[in-house]
Amino acid sequence: MVKKLVILKNITKTYYTGKVAYQVLKGISLEVEEGEFLAIMGASGSGKSTLLNIIGLLDKPDSGIYIFDGQEVNQLTKKELAYLRNRKIGFVFQAFYLVPWATALENVLLPLLYRGKINKEDEKKAVELLKRLRLEKRINAKPNELSGGEQQRVAIARALITNPKLLLADEPTGNLDSKSSQEVMNIFKELNENGITIIMVTHDPEIADFAKKIKIIKDGTFIKE
Amino acid sequence: MFIKYKLLWGGLFHKKLRLFLSVIGIIIGVASLLLMNSFGESAKIKTLKEIETFGPEVMMVVAGSVKVHGGRAIQTEITTTLKPADAEALRKIKGIKYLSPVFNGDGIIRYLGNNLTTIVNGVNEEYLLLRKFPLLEGRNFLKDEILGYKKVAILGYKIKRELFEDKNSIGKIILINKLPFRVIGVLAPIGIDASNTDQDDQILIPWTVAISAVYNVDYIRSIYLSVENLEEIHLIEKQINKILLKRHKVSERNKDFDIVKAEDILQVKTQTTELFSTLVKSISILCLFVGALGVTAIMTLSVNERKKEIGIRKALGAEDKNILFQFLAESVFITSLGGAIGILIGVVGSLIFLPLFDYPLVFPWIPILTSTLLTIFSGIIAGIYPAYKATQVDPIILLRHNF
Repeated sequence: MVKKLVILKNITKTYYTGKVAYQVLKGISLEVEEGEFLAIMGASGSGKSTLLNIIGLLDKPDSGIYIFDGQEVNQLTKKELAYLRNRKIGFVFQAFYLVPWATALENVLLPLLYRGKINKEDEKKAVELLKRLRLEKRINAKPNELSGGEQQRVAIARALITNPKLLLADEPTGNLDSKSSQEVMNIFKELNENGITIIMVTHDPEIADFAKKIKIIKDGTFIKE
Repeated sequence: MFIKYKLLWGGLFHKKLRLFLSVIGIIIGVASLLLMNSFGESAKIKTLKEIETFGPEVMMVVAGSVKVHGGRAIQTEITTTLKPADAEALRKIKGIKYLSPVFNGDGIIRYLGNNLTTIVNGVNEEYLLLRKFPLLEGRNFLKDEILGYKKVAILGYKIKRELFEDKNSIGKIILINKLPFRVIGVLAPIGIDASNTDQDDQILIPWTVAISAVYNVDYIRSIYLSVENLEEIHLIEKQINKILLKRHKVSERNKDFDIVKAEDILQVKTQTTELFSTLVKSISILCLFVGALGVTAIMTLSVNERKKEIGIRKALGAEDKNILFQFLAESVFITSLGGAIGILIGVVGSLIFLPLFDYPLVFPWIPILTSTLLTIFSGIIAGIYPAYKATQVDPIILLRHNF
């Protein structure tokens, strides 16, 4: 039997803007098995990013149960959540979020800073990753010297440096042209084939087609397939 | 290993102009703090040195009411009631070692067409011993010369240089206010004493000659005396006071003389320097505080600008304490950088300005230490708020654009 990496049961989340309450998630349940490649689709304001925040342990649900990699995470401290994010989850964002003053190589090594040491082995590994993503010539380039596609590939390398079990991607091709988008998605596909579980949020059906499974979220709940 | 520190500190050097601007307040604060502190230290040493030239065992009885103003004994008006006989009367007090009547006035000095104006001090043969003025050449007055109205003179070092340059002056005749005097001695360089007068710019003559032939008066301006035993100085002061009150037939309230000790001058001088240096130190600390506020402002701005960076660090596993430490360390680094530059400027400034203003050169160890500690301290204080703000950044902002 395949292990379930993510189990969400009846997750709700409400945001308050001023005095107006806005229930973003209205009882979401979801199970993601190891090795899966899931695309969550939905319009703006459907709650898909909030859901990704919760799955990525960046935000906590108001109610419901979340079991990540066999561990219930609702009661974990901020410190324990930070540890889990660092060890088990990789993030790829629409706006890349590379540190502007650091080189590609340094950006890739950033997650390891919070494990304490960065040694020669780590540097070698980072270079390997950048080579694998065909960035061998851009190792010492700063983000503003890279194209969008290159920046996103650096961000992917940064997500992979920690050997995460789960890769979370938020509109990973949202800021890219179609050629770069194809490239990035092919990388995701390849990573998934090598065993990494991927959950990706997008509103673009063409991109969602790269996933093995698609779920559509609308007004805070999944639409039945 | 290097990359680790680059990733921790790189953000600091990203905006160099801003780094400089945030540092400048600290630089000014620390530099002025250091400069003022070393001036204060130096001033203390200078005062003590001056008092030493005066001597703790020396007292002055000055005619007229004397006020010590800013470390200077200022005679407020000319009083003619202090007579040579008063000096003789004081001589009877037990425990007095040396005593000299003093009459001082301006003198025009001439020697072979060289003209100059200086202070002429009429004294007796004990004056040099009392003031501990060493002779460079020649000899002191003789008692007979004082009593016998002999026109002999001892020159201050500068006067000798100006009139005679390198040539021998002993035995030469000079004119003081048109009267001929024979030079018998030259004083060694002394410098400025506690009364702020340059003791190298004077001529000493017998007081008898001064009040008779040169100035034609029947009074003296002051009496210098020293005590055998320093412990008796207050006792002797009281006796002098008593004797003179009686002789002048005046009460304590309207007395026409004043007694000034080294101690009194020292006290007023230290009070003034201390007041001054407290004032300046407070201003410098205020300056440092303003500098620290500047760092707080810049760091807060920087945290606001780097929210995404902070968010991504958190998403990648940074704990609050990592973020807190990073930004605290940045503040401490900025202020320390400013502090280091400030200390450098302060030290160089001290080394340049102290000799320029004739202050003794002190290397400001203690000020350096205190400024360093103060800087690091203000760095931490300055960093607390922005660092706390940084920990409050919520990484969900990274995904907020389309929730």
